[in-house]
Amino acid sequence: MAARSNTAAESTACELVVTRIFDAPRELMWKTLTVPEHLEHWWGPKGMTSRVHQLELRPGGAFLYSQRAPDGREMWGKWVYREIVAPERLVFVSSFTDEKGNLTRHPFEPNWPLEIQGTSTFAEDRGRTTVTVRMVPINATASEEQTFFDGSKFMEEGFAGTWDKLDKYLATL
Amino acid sequence: MVQQHTSTEQLNATFAALADPTRRAILARLASGETSVSELAEPFEMSMPAISKHLKVLQRAGLIERGREAQWRPCRLAARPLKDASDWLEHYRQFWEEAFDRLEDYLRELQKSESKKKEHKNGRKK
Repeated sequence: MAARSNTAAESTACELVVTRIFDAPRELMWKTLTVPEHLEHWWGPKGMTSRVHQLELRPGGAFLYSQRAPDGREMWGKWVYREIVAPERLVFVSSFTDEKGNLTRHPFEPNWPLEIQGTSTFAEDRGRTTVTVRMVPINATASEEQTFFDGSKFMEEGFAGTWDKLDKYLATL
Repeated sequence: MVQQHTSTEQLNATFAALADPTRRAILARLASGETSVSELAEPFEMSMPAISKHLKVLQRAGLIERGREAQWRPCRLAARPLKDASDWLEHYRQFWEEAFDRLEDYLRELQKSESKKKEHKNGRKK
């Protein structure tokens, strides 16, 4: 394991990790996540038609997209890039927006308030690429953000076991 | 609008409270039923005031409730905020899993047409 960095992903109990091994080289994987023509083919849940309205691949630049459901409902969202290390690592803050890119609540779920920081990493092994996205909810203020970043060590404590227990309990509600 | 704002703060408070290992252990313990503060404190090498402090954080975040009826004021899990936080994470996971499913399909198409276009440059290995 590398020395602890000051990124959030390693150190919060509330992170969400989605990982997948794709049968494609890393350069291509990187393109599918950063080039509008590619993103429009897959970005978003099943059945949604995605359109890329803006994509500026630089720190502080934005990727603004819309997604239309089969029933016509439309939602907008954006990523603001924080760190770009092609083709290895992409850090962004993701949120829901209106058509102009102003932050909004989740259109269908008003209880969906937070911005998410996503850190995607791309690791290639013999032509296949593992893409991992770590997501943590982030808050607007620095001190609130600190709460997460200083938060306890997810892996070391085996919080997974605890969470399983809670999950089972929650399932009974 | 005010209602939504409360929700934002609620979710933030939930996640902040969950960021501490002792508090998560307390919640896990409470998942198997309500209990007294002294019983809760037992597994931890911690003073009662320290435990009380954690309980207060959890209570402020709305994650636990203290009974009023009995003298020992049992602690119990207040499930709603936890469920909201858990749903929220699950929804996000779902979103990405589905997008990745689509990406897999798309890559297959892409590589098929790529290999037709420039067969000699295809580095794909099976």
